[in-house]
Amino acid sequence: MPGIINRNITIEKTDMGFTGMFDAMASPCEILIETHDYALAKKLVQIAADEAWRIEQKFSRYRNDNILYHIHHACGEPVEVDDELTPLLNFAEQCYQLTDGMFDITSGILRRAWKFDCSDNIPTHRTIDELRSLIGWEKVSWQPPFISLPVGMELDLGGIGKEYAVDRAALLISQVSDIAILINFGGDLYATKPPKSRESWQVGIESIDGWNKTGVIKIKSGGIATSGDARRYLERDGIRYSHVLNPKTGWPVEEGPKSVTVAAPRCIDAGFLSTTAMLNGKEAKSFLEVQEVQYWLQI
Amino acid sequence: MRLIVFILGVLSITACSDLGVKPWERNVLAKPEMSLDSAPLTSALDDHIYFSKEASSGGRGFGGGGCGCN
Amino acid sequence: MKHKKITMALTTAACSLFNATPDVQADESADLGEWDINAAVLYYTESERVSAFEPVISAKKQIDSDESISLKLTLDSLTGPSANGAVPSINPQTFTKPSGNSSYTAPANEAPLDDTFKDTRVAFSASWEQALSRMTRMTLGGNLSKEYDYLSLGTSVMFAHDINQRNTTLNAGVSFAHDTIEPEGDIPTPFGIMQPTGTTQPRLTGTDDKTLIDVLLGVIQVVDKDSLFQVNYSYSQADGYLTDPFKVISIVDGATGLPIIEDATTNLSQVVFENRPDSRTKHSLYTQYKRNIIGDVMDVSYRYMFDDWEITSHTLDFRYRLKTSETTFWQPHLRYYQQSEAEFFRPYFVSGQQPGVGADNVYATSDYRLGEMTTYTIGLEYGEKYHDHGWSIAAEYYLQSVTEPSVKVGQLAQQELFPDVDAFMLRFNYDF
Repeated sequence: MPGIINRNITIEKTDMGFTGMFDAMASPCEILIETHDYALAKKLVQIAADEAWRIEQKFSRYRNDNILYHIHHACGEPVEVDDELTPLLNFAEQCYQLTDGMFDITSGILRRAWKFDCSDNIPTHRTIDELRSLIGWEKVSWQPPFISLPVGMELDLGGIGKEYAVDRAALLISQVSDIAILINFGGDLYATKPPKSRESWQVGIESIDGWNKTGVIKIKSGGIATSGDARRYLERDGIRYSHVLNPKTGWPVEEGPKSVTVAAPRCIDAGFLSTTAMLNGKEAKSFLEVQEVQYWLQI
Repeated sequence: MRLIVFILGVLSITACSDLGVKPWERNVLAKPEMSLDSAPLTSALDDHIYFSKEASSGGRGFGGGGCGCN
Repeated sequence: MKHKKITMALTTAACSLFNATPDVQADESADLGEWDINAAVLYYTESERVSAFEPVISAKKQIDSDESISLKLTLDSLTGPSANGAVPSINPQTFTKPSGNSSYTAPANEAPLDDTFKDTRVAFSASWEQALSRMTRMTLGGNLSKEYDYLSLGTSVMFAHDINQRNTTLNAGVSFAHDTIEPEGDIPTPFGIMQPTGTTQPRLTGTDDKTLIDVLLGVIQVVDKDSLFQVNYSYSQADGYLTDPFKVISIVDGATGLPIIEDATTNLSQVVFENRPDSRTKHSLYTQYKRNIIGDVMDVSYRYMFDDWEITSHTLDFRYRLKTSETTFWQPHLRYYQQSEAEFFRPYFVSGQQPGVGADNVYATSDYRLGEMTTYTIGLEYGEKYHDHGWSIAAEYYLQSVTEPSVKVGQLAQQELFPDVDAFMLRFNYDF
């Protein structure tokens, strides 16, 4: 049931230290810690888990007591947001500008039209047009710290929420200890520094849907994020519609890669770049080339 | 007796704990002109004039210092 | 399609996300380490009576996110005459000044005024506010006030505790002050008879003092996003010398109403020095409501006070801040005040009925400020406010109207014992 968080944490011993595991943001999360101090490992995992759950609750669409609920039910009135949401919305606005409107956190409502259940249920143009009138960051009044959404519009922080949580967990852990850790929230990663015991962390590119490992990424430090989901698509009249939706047209992006993985200094940077690459459809590869970042595509 | 009615009056006014706003609704209340003592120097000057011309004083808070004027 | 390299802009954007310290609840107006300064000057003048010029400057510094200090310096310069408490007469009268060395006269048919009160007062106060926990704050205060013949030293502590997501604030505080008076002419004997100049005045002692204890309990409650109110209960206890050493009460003839002549050669009227109880307990209930109305702010307050001198008072104050632009405002102000007279209020004594000289357990005063009185204030303020400074100017008219006694013997029936006193106030504020 959405909104109910399972707060179990398990800690397992590994040959380089400990791995803490828990669920957050509909993903399996793990923290790899290079230490033989169990108490320290337990403390760091708890910090990461608490931060992930805090962010999950704060940005959840399913709750009726958080700031997001209030923004969505303010009927066009300005709502003052706090010192955490203000920089996040500023970041979302800059992403919107950097991508000429392709990256748009108001486009979440398109999920109502598109149910990617591998069937042939394609929404009508009418449905899409109605939703498109409620999409567009340019329609939002954002005068920090006050935001007002026209009635019917919604903010969806799902696109950057998990990556933000990874970077936040890393920040909080680094305030307590400077040992080498790798955070992995369902495929969105961040490593603080390379482990002492080997040259780099080794991560297999593998999603929750259980693909076969298609490669191993060696990461010393920084963030890695993946966009894409090969299992979710619609197919009609021989045309496969991927699940990445273009906020400007309301329709799925055509002929894009199945998934994009990007490495960048922070997880949120990586997440933004991988999402934007996906939105570029068949231009994904040339976009990523221009950015001069490390990337992996699955076509 | 008057004192008891008085204090009960105060307590009944304050027994409304279902009033209030969420933290993100404080944009208007946070404005300086909405603070209860938004012009403290003016209040202090006024209080001093009325203290020296009338038989009552204070009520809002603690004043600062007596004078030989009353 | 040509793609732009956006990684630089992206890194900058993401950096700002993670540079803010987590969990900041800062809403103080002064940045850490800077002084917030407010200054004001008041000019007050009563027609033909006392005038006051009062500049004040205060500075507040936010030392830390949960700690601040505040300092205030006030200068108060008083000139001009005020009523001495004696009744007017169809004949001119003479009185001796408090020093005993000279005299002054009151014209016929006018309330006698003594203009000895040229004095300057300096007051300094400091307060220190510190958060004791996330929801609790403590403020410690100290103040000192000095005039030629008066010294006041005081200290206070106040606690504030927030509950209900800071929608409710509970306040509790106590203050303590000790005042010393050393008037020119010493402390007069209660009901002592004023003597001609050059002779011995009825004096008791050179100096006396009083202590004041105040307790305040209050609640501030947010009603909705546009309004809030405050209710305070105050208890005040004063002990010691509460009498005004300069005020006198006329002794008049029971038939003619003419002041008795104490000394024919100097035409000195017979007056006795007043005497007030040596303790006063006051209770007051103060409530204030503030509401935002489309950018304007309405501020209304009411205070009810009663004490053991049998004075009851009501104060109603109304201000409406009209927002005329993002940076300018007008604020009309109305105040209504009404008090009942003190139990021992005596506008005059019929000869023979006054208490004996030195009777310190009997009380009487003709000071109009303890009489039955209604006052009205009407004012208008104009101000401009910018993000780092602001100023305002206000003009007010203040009318004090004391109820005449219902019984006035002889010539007093034709006199106005307590004429209305009207005053004009001009105030200028500057903040930076």
